[in-house]
Amino acid sequence: MNIRHLGPDVVERLTLDTEPWLSCDDCFRQVDEYVDRLLAGEADPMPPMRVHLRGCPACAEEAGTVLELAAEDAGVPAPDVDWT
Amino acid sequence: MTTVGPGPAPVTAPVEETDWVAALSIPGPERERALAELHGLLLRAARRQVQRTGAVTRDMAEELANQAADEALITLLGKLHTFEGRSRFTTWAYKFAVLQAATAVRTLAWQDREIHLDGLDLVADGRPGPGQYAEAADLAVAVRAALDTELSPHQRRIVLALLVDDVPIDVLAERLGTNRNALYKALHDARKRLRARLRATGFLDDHLQQDKAGRS
Repeated sequence: MNIRHLGPDVVERLTLDTEPWLSCDDCFRQVDEYVDRLLAGEADPMPPMRVHLRGCPACAEEAGTVLELAAEDAGVPAPDVDWT
Repeated sequence: MTTVGPGPAPVTAPVEETDWVAALSIPGPERERALAELHGLLLRAARRQVQRTGAVTRDMAEELANQAADEALITLLGKLHTFEGRSRFTTWAYKFAVLQAATAVRTLAWQDREIHLDGLDLVADGRPGPGQYAEAADLAVAVRAALDTELSPHQRRIVLALLVDDVPIDVLAERLGTNRNALYKALHDARKRLRARLRATGFLDDHLQQDKAGRS
Protein backbone atom coordinates (compact mmCIF):
# COMPACT_ATOMS: atom_id res chain seq x y z
CA MET A 1 0.00 0.00 0.00
CA ASN A 2 1.33 3.43 -0.96
CA ILE A 3 0.56 6.02 1.69
CA ARG A 4 0.19 9.73 1.01
CA HIS A 5 -0.27 12.50 3.56
CA LEU A 6 -3.48 14.48 3.30
CA GLY A 7 -2.11 18.02 3.45
CA PRO A 8 -3.90 21.38 3.12
CA ASP A 9 -3.31 21.61 -0.65
CA VAL A 10 -4.89 18.23 -1.28
CA VAL A 11 -7.81 19.04 1.03
CA GLU A 12 -8.45 22.20 -0.94
CA ARG A 13 -8.32 20.37 -4.27
CA LEU A 14 -10.61 17.61 -2.99
CA THR A 15 -13.25 20.02 -1.74
CA LEU A 16 -13.14 22.56 -4.55
CA ASP A 17 -16.56 23.82 -5.65
CA THR A 18 -16.72 23.09 -9.40
CA GLU A 19 -20.31 24.20 -9.98
CA PRO A 20 -21.56 25.03 -12.54
CA TRP A 21 -20.69 21.87 -14.41
CA LEU A 22 -18.69 22.29 -17.59
CA SER A 23 -17.09 19.35 -19.39
CA CYS A 24 -13.56 19.27 -20.80
CA ASP A 25 -15.08 19.19 -24.31
CA ASP A 26 -17.14 22.30 -23.52
CA CYS A 27 -14.00 23.94 -22.22
CA PHE A 28 -12.12 23.10 -25.42
CA ARG A 29 -14.95 24.49 -27.55
CA GLN A 30 -14.98 27.80 -25.69
CA VAL A 31 -11.37 28.36 -24.68
CA ASP A 32 -10.46 30.51 -27.71
CA GLU A 33 -13.34 32.91 -27.09
CA TYR A 34 -12.52 32.99 -23.37
CA VAL A 35 -8.87 33.80 -24.04
CA ASP A 36 -9.63 36.57 -26.53
CA ARG A 37 -12.16 38.15 -24.17
CA LEU A 38 -9.60 38.10 -21.36
CA LEU A 39 -7.13 39.78 -23.68
CA ALA A 40 -9.76 42.36 -24.59
CA GLY A 41 -9.79 43.37 -20.93
CA GLU A 42 -12.88 41.61 -19.59
CA ALA A 43 -12.24 40.69 -15.97
CA ASP A 44 -14.34 37.52 -15.73
CA PRO A 45 -15.87 36.95 -19.15
CA MET A 46 -17.13 33.39 -18.78
CA PRO A 47 -17.39 32.29 -15.12
CA PRO A 48 -18.07 28.59 -15.87
CA MET A 49 -14.79 28.53 -17.80
CA ARG A 50 -12.91 30.00 -14.85
CA VAL A 51 -14.46 27.40 -12.55
CA HIS A 52 -13.56 24.54 -14.87
CA LEU A 53 -9.99 25.72 -15.29
CA ARG A 54 -9.55 25.90 -11.51
CA GLY A 55 -10.74 22.31 -11.21
CA CYS A 56 -8.98 20.74 -14.20
CA PRO A 57 -5.18 21.14 -14.27
CA ALA A 58 -4.83 19.71 -17.80
CA CYS A 59 -7.31 22.17 -19.31
CA ALA A 60 -5.73 25.00 -17.30
CA GLU A 61 -2.27 24.18 -18.62
CA GLU A 62 -3.51 24.14 -22.21
CA ALA A 63 -5.52 27.34 -21.78
CA GLY A 64 -2.42 29.01 -20.36
CA THR A 65 -0.45 28.20 -23.49
CA VAL A 66 -3.24 29.46 -25.80
CA LEU A 67 -3.39 32.64 -23.71
CA GLU A 68 0.36 33.21 -24.07
CA LEU A 69 0.28 32.72 -27.83
CA ALA A 70 -2.77 34.91 -28.37
CA ALA A 71 -1.30 37.64 -26.16
CA GLU A 72 1.83 37.66 -28.31
CA ASP A 73 -0.30 37.97 -31.44
CA ALA A 74 -2.26 40.83 -29.90
CA GLY A 75 0.92 42.54 -28.77
CA VAL A 76 -0.21 42.71 -25.17
CA PRO A 77 1.09 41.06 -22.01
CA ALA A 78 -0.78 37.92 -20.99
CA PRO A 79 -3.08 38.67 -18.05
CA ASP A 80 -1.93 37.24 -14.74
CA VAL A 81 -4.48 34.50 -14.21
CA ASP A 82 -4.38 31.92 -11.43
CA TRP A 83 -6.60 29.03 -12.35
CA THR A 84 -4.89 26.46 -10.19
CA MET B 1 -43.27 47.87 -51.72
CA THR B 2 -42.01 46.36 -48.60
CA THR B 3 -39.24 48.17 -46.82
CA VAL B 4 -36.92 46.51 -44.43
CA GLY B 5 -35.29 48.46 -41.66
CA PRO B 6 -31.68 48.06 -40.73
CA GLY B 7 -32.43 45.75 -37.75
CA PRO B 8 -29.67 44.43 -35.55
CA ALA B 9 -26.22 44.34 -37.01
CA PRO B 10 -25.36 40.86 -38.31
CA VAL B 11 -22.78 38.97 -36.33
CA THR B 12 -19.93 38.43 -38.74
CA ALA B 13 -16.37 37.40 -38.31
CA PRO B 14 -13.68 40.04 -38.69
CA VAL B 15 -12.20 40.28 -42.17
CA GLU B 16 -9.07 38.49 -41.07
CA GLU B 17 -11.09 35.42 -40.03
CA THR B 18 -13.18 35.40 -43.20
CA ASP B 19 -10.01 35.45 -45.23
CA TRP B 20 -8.57 32.42 -43.41
CA VAL B 21 -11.68 30.30 -43.85
CA ALA B 22 -12.08 31.29 -47.50
CA ALA B 23 -8.41 30.79 -48.25
CA LEU B 24 -8.48 27.30 -46.73
CA SER B 25 -11.71 26.31 -48.43
CA ILE B 26 -11.07 27.07 -52.10
CA PRO B 27 -8.57 24.84 -53.93
CA GLY B 28 -5.70 26.62 -55.60
CA PRO B 29 -2.40 28.33 -54.87
CA GLU B 30 -3.99 30.61 -52.27
CA ARG B 31 -5.07 27.55 -50.29
CA GLU B 32 -1.57 26.07 -50.49
CA ARG B 33 -0.10 29.31 -49.12
CA ALA B 34 -2.70 29.43 -46.35
CA LEU B 35 -2.03 25.80 -45.42
CA ALA B 36 1.70 26.43 -45.17
CA GLU B 37 1.18 29.51 -43.03
CA LEU B 38 -1.33 27.73 -40.82
CA HIS B 39 1.03 24.81 -40.32
CA GLY B 40 3.66 27.27 -39.18
CA LEU B 41 1.28 28.72 -36.61
CA LEU B 42 0.33 25.28 -35.35
CA LEU B 43 3.97 24.28 -35.08
CA ARG B 44 4.70 27.39 -33.02
CA ALA B 45 1.82 26.50 -30.70
CA ALA B 46 2.86 22.86 -30.38
CA ARG B 47 6.47 23.85 -29.64
CA ARG B 48 5.32 26.23 -26.92
CA GLN B 49 3.23 23.54 -25.25
CA VAL B 50 6.04 20.98 -25.41
CA GLN B 51 8.50 23.53 -23.99
CA ARG B 52 6.07 24.31 -21.20
CA THR B 53 6.26 20.80 -19.83
CA GLY B 54 10.02 20.51 -20.29
CA ALA B 55 9.84 16.75 -19.86
CA VAL B 56 11.56 15.62 -23.06
CA THR B 57 14.88 16.02 -24.84
CA ARG B 58 15.35 18.73 -27.46
CA ASP B 59 15.25 16.31 -30.40
CA MET B 60 12.21 14.54 -29.01
CA ALA B 61 10.52 17.88 -28.37
CA GLU B 62 10.91 18.89 -32.01
CA GLU B 63 9.62 15.53 -33.22
CA LEU B 64 6.61 15.70 -30.90
CA ALA B 65 5.85 19.27 -31.93
CA ASN B 66 5.96 18.43 -35.63
CA GLN B 67 3.71 15.40 -35.17
CA ALA B 68 1.28 17.46 -33.10
CA ALA B 69 1.18 20.23 -35.70
CA ASP B 70 0.54 17.71 -38.51
CA GLU B 71 -2.28 16.02 -36.60
CA ALA B 72 -3.75 19.33 -35.47
CA LEU B 73 -3.85 20.58 -39.05
CA ILE B 74 -5.86 17.55 -40.15
CA THR B 75 -8.25 17.91 -37.20
CA LEU B 76 -8.66 21.64 -37.74
CA LEU B 77 -9.44 21.28 -41.44
CA GLY B 78 -12.13 18.74 -40.58
CA LYS B 79 -13.69 21.27 -38.22
CA LEU B 80 -13.20 24.38 -40.31
CA HIS B 81 -16.95 24.66 -40.90
CA THR B 82 -17.49 24.95 -37.13
CA PHE B 83 -15.45 28.16 -36.80
CA GLU B 84 -17.95 30.85 -35.85
CA GLY B 85 -15.70 33.86 -35.51
CA ARG B 86 -16.15 34.09 -31.74
CA SER B 87 -12.39 34.53 -31.46
CA ARG B 88 -9.54 35.35 -33.78
CA PHE B 89 -8.96 32.50 -36.19
CA THR B 90 -5.40 32.08 -34.95
CA THR B 91 -6.53 31.72 -31.32
CA TRP B 92 -9.06 29.11 -32.44
CA ALA B 93 -6.35 27.29 -34.39
CA TYR B 94 -3.79 27.26 -31.58
CA LYS B 95 -5.99 25.20 -29.29
CA PHE B 96 -5.89 22.21 -31.65
CA ALA B 97 -2.10 22.10 -31.68
CA VAL B 98 -1.82 22.75 -27.95
CA LEU B 99 -4.18 19.87 -27.15
CA GLN B 100 -2.32 17.47 -29.45
CA ALA B 101 1.06 18.44 -28.06
CA ALA B 102 -0.04 18.37 -24.44
CA THR B 103 -1.56 14.92 -24.76
CA ALA B 104 1.50 13.57 -26.58
CA VAL B 105 3.95 14.88 -23.98
CA ARG B 106 1.91 13.64 -21.03
CA THR B 107 1.53 10.21 -22.60
CA LEU B 108 5.27 10.01 -23.20
CA ALA B 109 6.15 11.22 -19.71
CA TRP B 110 3.93 8.58 -18.11
CA GLN B 111 4.48 5.68 -20.51
CA ASP B 112 6.83 3.81 -18.17
CA ARG B 113 5.14 4.78 -14.93
CA GLU B 114 2.72 2.58 -13.09
CA ILE B 115 -0.48 4.08 -11.75
CA HIS B 116 -1.44 2.55 -8.41
CA LEU B 117 -5.19 2.73 -8.58
CA ASP B 118 -5.80 0.13 -5.90
CA GLY B 119 -2.70 0.53 -3.80
CA LEU B 120 -2.94 4.12 -2.65
CA ASP B 121 -4.21 5.42 0.65
CA LEU B 122 -4.25 8.69 2.50
CA VAL B 123 -3.46 9.47 6.09
CA ALA B 124 -4.60 12.48 8.06
CA ASP B 125 -2.99 12.36 11.46
CA GLY B 126 -5.11 15.09 13.02
CA ARG B 127 -2.10 16.97 14.33
CA PRO B 128 -1.58 20.44 12.89
CA GLY B 129 1.54 20.86 10.83
CA PRO B 130 3.82 23.91 10.85
CA GLY B 131 1.76 27.06 10.26
CA GLN B 132 -1.47 25.08 10.32
CA TYR B 133 -4.44 25.63 12.61
CA ALA B 134 -5.90 22.71 14.56
CA GLU B 135 -9.15 23.21 12.64
CA ALA B 136 -7.34 22.50 9.37
CA ALA B 137 -6.04 19.24 10.80
CA ASP B 138 -9.58 18.37 11.92
CA LEU B 139 -10.83 19.12 8.43
CA ALA B 140 -8.23 16.79 6.94
CA VAL B 141 -9.46 14.00 9.22
CA ALA B 142 -13.06 14.71 8.19
CA VAL B 143 -12.14 14.70 4.49
CA ARG B 144 -10.28 11.42 4.95
CA ALA B 145 -13.38 9.85 6.55
CA ALA B 146 -15.68 11.26 3.85
CA LEU B 147 -13.53 9.69 1.14
CA ASP B 148 -14.45 6.29 2.57
CA THR B 149 -18.09 6.91 3.39
CA GLU B 150 -19.25 9.11 0.52
CA LEU B 151 -17.38 7.87 -2.55
CA SER B 152 -17.69 4.63 -4.48
CA PRO B 153 -14.47 2.63 -4.89
CA HIS B 154 -14.33 3.79 -8.53
CA GLN B 155 -14.73 7.46 -7.57
CA ARG B 156 -12.12 7.11 -4.84
CA ARG B 157 -9.58 5.58 -7.23
CA ILE B 158 -10.10 8.37 -9.74
CA VAL B 159 -9.93 11.13 -7.15
CA LEU B 160 -6.76 9.80 -5.56
CA ALA B 161 -5.03 9.27 -8.90
CA LEU B 162 -5.91 12.73 -10.23
CA LEU B 163 -5.65 14.91 -7.14
CA VAL B 164 -3.17 13.11 -4.92
CA ASP B 165 -0.82 11.37 -7.34
CA ASP B 166 -1.21 14.07 -10.02
CA VAL B 167 -1.81 11.60 -12.83
CA PRO B 168 -2.80 13.71 -15.88
CA ILE B 169 -6.46 13.26 -16.73
CA ASP B 170 -5.80 12.23 -20.35
CA VAL B 171 -3.22 9.65 -19.25
CA LEU B 172 -5.61 8.17 -16.71
CA ALA B 173 -8.40 8.13 -19.29
CA GLU B 174 -6.25 6.14 -21.67
CA ARG B 175 -5.25 3.62 -18.97
CA LEU B 176 -8.86 3.12 -17.92
CA GLY B 177 -10.21 2.96 -21.46
CA THR B 178 -12.43 5.99 -20.94
CA ASN B 179 -12.26 9.65 -21.85
CA ARG B 180 -11.39 12.96 -20.26
CA ASN B 181 -15.02 14.08 -19.96
CA ALA B 182 -16.09 10.96 -18.08
CA LEU B 183 -13.23 11.26 -15.61
CA TYR B 184 -13.82 14.94 -15.00
CA LYS B 185 -17.52 14.20 -14.41
CA ALA B 186 -16.58 11.54 -11.86
CA LEU B 187 -14.25 14.02 -10.18
CA HIS B 188 -16.91 16.74 -10.21
CA ASP B 189 -19.48 14.42 -8.64
CA ALA B 190 -16.99 13.20 -6.03
CA ARG B 191 -16.15 16.76 -5.00
CA LYS B 192 -19.85 17.51 -4.73
CA ARG B 193 -20.41 14.51 -2.44
CA LEU B 194 -17.44 15.40 -0.27
CA ARG B 195 -18.60 19.00 0.04
CA ALA B 196 -22.13 17.94 0.94
CA ARG B 197 -20.83 15.65 3.69
CA LEU B 198 -18.51 18.30 5.09
CA ARG B 199 -21.27 20.88 5.00
CA ALA B 200 -23.63 18.51 6.81
CA THR B 201 -21.08 17.91 9.52
CA GLY B 202 -20.28 21.60 9.89
CA PHE B 203 -16.78 21.45 8.49
CA LEU B 204 -17.16 23.31 5.27
CA ASP B 205 -16.48 26.97 4.68
CA ASP B 206 -15.37 28.09 8.12
CA HIS B 207 -12.75 25.39 8.30
CA LEU B 208 -11.68 25.86 4.71
CA GLN B 209 -11.15 29.54 5.38
CA GLN B 210 -9.16 28.67 8.46
CA ASP B 211 -7.19 26.22 6.41
CA LYS B 212 -6.31 28.86 3.85
CA ALA B 213 -5.49 31.31 6.63
CA GLY B 214 -3.26 28.71 8.23
CA ARG B 215 -1.13 28.52 5.11
CA SER B 216 -0.83 32.23 4.48
